[in-house]
Amino acid sequence: MENLEAARLQMAITLIFHIVFACIGMVMPFFMVISHYKWLKTRKEIYLKLTKAWQRGVAIFFVTGAVSGTALSFELGLLWPEFMKHAGPIIGMPFSLEGAAFFVEAIALGFYLYGWKKLPEKFHWFTGVIIGISGVMSGILVVAANGWMNSPSGFTYENGVFSDINPIEAMLNGAWFTQALHMTLAAFVATGFAVAGIHAYQVYKGKNVELHKKAFRIAIIFAAVAALLQPISGDISAKDVAERQPAKLAALEAHYETEKGAPLYIGGIVDEEKQEVTHKIEIPKALSFLAFGDFDAEVKGLNDFPEDEQPPVAIVHYAFQIMVGIGTLLAIVGLFYLLSLKWKKWQNHRKFWLLFTLMAPLGYIALEAGWIVTEVGRQPWIIYQVMKTKDAVTPMPGIFYSLITYTGMYIVLTCVVSWLLARQIKVLNQNED
Amino acid sequence: MLTVVLFFLFFSLFLYVLLAGADFGGGIIELFSSPKNQEKTKQTIYRVMGPIWEANHIWIIILIVILWIGFPQYFNIFVVYLHIPITLMLLGITIRGLAFIFRHYDAVKGRSQGSYNALFKLGSILSPLFLGVIFGGLVGGNINLFSENHNLSFKEIYIDGWFNVFSVLIGVFYIALCAFIASNFLIGEADDEDELNLYRKKASYSTIILVFIGLVILAYGYFNEIDFVIDFIENKYSIIAVAISGIVLIPLWKMIKLKRKAWARILAGVQVLLVVSAAMLAHFPDVIITSTKEISILDGVAPDSVIQVLGIALLIGGAIILPGLYHLMKSFQLIKLFK
Repeated sequence: MENLEAARLQMAITLIFHIVFACIGMVMPFFMVISHYKWLKTRKEIYLKLTKAWQRGVAIFFVTGAVSGTALSFELGLLWPEFMKHAGPIIGMPFSLEGAAFFVEAIALGFYLYGWKKLPEKFHWFTGVIIGISGVMSGILVVAANGWMNSPSGFTYENGVFSDINPIEAMLNGAWFTQALHMTLAAFVATGFAVAGIHAYQVYKGKNVELHKKAFRIAIIFAAVAALLQPISGDISAKDVAERQPAKLAALEAHYETEKGAPLYIGGIVDEEKQEVTHKIEIPKALSFLAFGDFDAEVKGLNDFPEDEQPPVAIVHYAFQIMVGIGTLLAIVGLFYLLSLKWKKWQNHRKFWLLFTLMAPLGYIALEAGWIVTEVGRQPWIIYQVMKTKDAVTPMPGIFYSLITYTGMYIVLTCVVSWLLARQIKVLNQNED
Repeated sequence: MLTVVLFFLFFSLFLYVLLAGADFGGGIIELFSSPKNQEKTKQTIYRVMGPIWEANHIWIIILIVILWIGFPQYFNIFVVYLHIPITLMLLGITIRGLAFIFRHYDAVKGRSQGSYNALFKLGSILSPLFLGVIFGGLVGGNINLFSENHNLSFKEIYIDGWFNVFSVLIGVFYIALCAFIASNFLIGEADDEDELNLYRKKASYSTIILVFIGLVILAYGYFNEIDFVIDFIENKYSIIAVAISGIVLIPLWKMIKLKRKAWARILAGVQVLLVVSAAMLAHFPDVIITSTKEISILDGVAPDSVIQVLGIALLIGGAIILPGLYHLMKSFQLIKLFK
């Protein structure tokens, strides 16, 4: 395997895992403080039990996220030294603020975990709120840095030299808001459905039903609302990409030829050699409308871009289909849940719980697919239209071995965390029976 | 503003060496304890360090972020030439984090605890060892820049820089320093006379080892003409810092005897501050020494506009984080000054 490929694969694998840890660490504190709030208000023992169970989850994911975040902060430099040499100072602002937010989160977590019966109750609860808020802040800041790679700003680039650096302008780049909005909602959708799904499964199996139903209700409401908002954010993002990164838009829709009134392709099999998409569903003029708000707008095809500036098409197209497909499904399921609040009888069916159990992994699959669209769709650039990924990679040969090491490390980390969570749930249920 | 940035760089380095060091040291002391005492040490360490455990390890992220934003050229050499020991250090940190999660969040307390403990101890040794090796690599004068010589082999570029006696000695020195910090922290937490004696013994062993390895490094460096060591010896600030750290051992021991744990902790912290300062001052600002030249951290520092913003961000961040951290430590009686 070539060095560049190994480095890209390592980065991808690291991020795929890290995103899961980070999103759970971002969203679960909110579930926890709501349950905690209910405990303070109702003094029902069951909410205290749930809060403490979720608290352990938060702690486990925080430590895992911190460990993998430490590795990542080095990896950026280890794998992409040329990128960091030039981009580091420019996008330092969101990263340094993210460091601060992460720190606040760690301090708040210290207070929260060890504060039971030691701190005043309301203050203790409030430290939990801080964990959630600073977690979301961290997420937004990191995404802002990624936004800069898609929409570089805050510097002048001439003859390979970066000058006139303005870190604030770089942080508030054109893509930060749309990306951060989409990602924050995605984190709530994915974690909400995952947590709700795990508890739904326990209800389905009839274990410790009262507690798991309460847990399910807290998690699913976040997930349902976020899932219904997500298509709106997705539309904003699509229009943004259409304007700023036409090659990415062409890749995610697998359009090779420039045309006016371009159709939207749903599904299909991409043949990169022959440059065609077969077995697709075609909706006339829909792409032009979705991307530019005009049924006859011109959508640039991939062939209009120089060959060495085209992103891989098949993987980006498939990932995009998966993301949109799952996103739509989850929005419908979210709506279904909200309706079940009125037609309460639905919840008495076992199939209701089975449905939400099956939804558990989908949010995360969509979220990962979305990142594949963003990242692979930007290729061959690491900084869009400024620096190519191949020019940023480390000169050290043998990254393949590093790839194996890191992959192994993350697989172990994931297995460990899943195993621990399973044990937590088992013990939680045992104590009840 | 550059001064502010450099201050925070130094400050986070110091706190990482101290706080993560105390944490690594806990694992090291566990390793060198009899099975009976291991459990006790583990509990005590967790009680003391638990609330700030997460925060301790974030200092290295702050450190690395300041480096890449403010000193990109320096960071570049660091990550290219020391790729391998950095990866090994990360492996150590990961193993340790894993074991920590296991030890404290496994709902079932069973036999598997034994293997978690083994992993924890392994990580506790590997992480400080490679942190020391990395520092030794930076200043040891063995890095071969490929920009100067295109005919270098993989080994000459990526391995010789850090895989040598000097770097390993620095690694061992940091392990001893960690044990020193942890044992001094633990003394204040002993519940009974037996435990107190145990930690005292650990503290005295680690002090002796620390001083001994320090002397070995100086002697080795002096006789092998390692620039960093020679400059260290000739630099009056470094030597003064080392001399004071030697003198401070006396009041430290007195405070331990008198069971004044707040003072004992402060003095142990001062020790670390002096050691870190001595190492940094010896060659500042040329904190990379390659086989052919010295590279200043201030070479290729980020443009002024970046340093300005970074400085402001650090000041604001510091104003939020430091009081928070202080209250956290105070709330859980890590700082018992006002008792």
